[in-house]
Amino acid sequence: MLLMSNVSKIYPGGSTALQDVNIHIEPGEFVFVVGPSGAGKSTFIKMLFREVIPTTGSIFVNGIDILKLQEKEIPYMRRQLGIIFQDYRLLPDRTVYENVAFAMQVIEAPHRKIKRRVMNVLELVGLRNRCNSYPNELSGGEQQRIAIARAIVNDPLLVIADEPTGNLDPETSWDIMEIFKEINASGTTIVMATHDKEIVDAMGKRVIAIEKGRIVRDEKNGVYGYEL
Amino acid sequence: MDMSFSTKEYFVRETYKSIRRNGFMSFASISTVAVSLLVLGMFLLIFLNTNNLAKYLESQVQISVYMLDEADNEELESVGKRLSEMEGVEKVTFISKDEALEKFRERLGDQQQLLDSLGSDNPFPNYFDVQVDSPERIQQLTPQISELPQVETAKFGQEVVENLFQLTRILRFGGIMLVVFLSMATLFIISNTIRLTVFARRKEVVIMKYVGATDWFIRWPFLLEGMTLGFFGAIVAALLINIIYSGLQTKIYATLAFLPLLPAYPLLTYVSFFLLVAGTGIGALGSYISLRKFLRV
Repeated sequence: MLLMSNVSKIYPGGSTALQDVNIHIEPGEFVFVVGPSGAGKSTFIKMLFREVIPTTGSIFVNGIDILKLQEKEIPYMRRQLGIIFQDYRLLPDRTVYENVAFAMQVIEAPHRKIKRRVMNVLELVGLRNRCNSYPNELSGGEQQRIAIARAIVNDPLLVIADEPTGNLDPETSWDIMEIFKEINASGTTIVMATHDKEIVDAMGKRVIAIEKGRIVRDEKNGVYGYEL
Repeated sequence: MDMSFSTKEYFVRETYKSIRRNGFMSFASISTVAVSLLVLGMFLLIFLNTNNLAKYLESQVQISVYMLDEADNEELESVGKRLSEMEGVEKVTFISKDEALEKFRERLGDQQQLLDSLGSDNPFPNYFDVQVDSPERIQQLTPQISELPQVETAKFGQEVVENLFQLTRILRFGGIMLVVFLSMATLFIISNTIRLTVFARRKEVVIMKYVGATDWFIRWPFLLEGMTLGFFGAIVAALLINIIYSGLQTKIYATLAFLPLLPAYPLLTYVSFFLLVAGTGIGALGSYISLRKFLRV
């Protein structure tokens, strides 16, 4: 599903964000990426959807060398991904329904299909009854659930989440994790950067730890491993 | 580009929303386009008419040969004979002083009292109307004719034609300069409006990129917005041009009937069509400039 080999990133100015990263993630895996702030997690995550291009190395997503793609092929590569951010990134002037439907309109899905599919994913994240609300009428947890709905509405093979629970209280975070578990159970691969020790420890999934731009640990059934 | 119906509908809705959201800037853009295209259209009409007038005068194949008053009948007859023998001359008509006065009286119509002040004097000379076979022949024959005895002058429309062509050249140059300047101003304001739109929607653009929208999908609504602003500006300009030209024409027919104006139609249809294409094009170009600069998709 995801293969990184000998990936390094040196930003202009000389700071090394990642060094010699090698990773192989199987389809259907649930992987946490942990590490101190500034260790290179963000760079790592952004490379997966070609927001950041590594200085050396190669990255394969679903068998495609995403670094060899032409500019105009990138949108089609991203359609196979679902991306979730800490700050939700919803459109404030659109309803819950429109925010999710937006992702389908953008890839030019037919009208009939959009309505059915959007209602289905809103059901999945438990917000079907809020479909006519605006984001600012909802709690943080609810907003993140809409963002998740938007990320999975096009049936991605890989969901990439960058600190999805970073702005949420522990209880709400667990609700969100339940949704991720469900998505993962249906076969979708998940790569999640997080600082949430409690969640990482309790989930017992694969953990990749990055420090100073290097992978220092990669364990199945891993733990967070840092003192807060 | 092949687009599904729901995509087109989406673009139209986005464009409409954006034009409304930018209310004042949209209005300013439409007005600027309208003013620019109005000036452009007026120039086009003036230019076409001057050109037409020059061509009309140039196509005249007539030389007027004015005789001195002291020429007697015999001399007149001999000049008339020599005129008709010249190469290229097709027809020579003699108009006497009395006939010339009579012709003028007819042209004056109900304003004949103007002539009363002349009393019994007849200011008109005897003259010959000489028709030649081609406009080129005029240049060659006129000097020869001027040399004939008792001829005061031989005239044709040459001077007027040359002046008119000079005027068209000036109009063309000035017009092009003005049009370039106005187009730049229009481009500037349209690209600014679109820049505001892009800025207002930058979050949306980022999200669109993350969910896999193609660059063209992102660009279309902005391009459509620019084109719509240009198109509406052009409609305003075209309407005004139609009203102004038709009105002007009625006025000119009433006072300067001899001026051969181009008829309003189909001329105005072409000019209006041209303005619509130009307006929409300027709108698209303005958006494109803005997109290249501010929307790195």
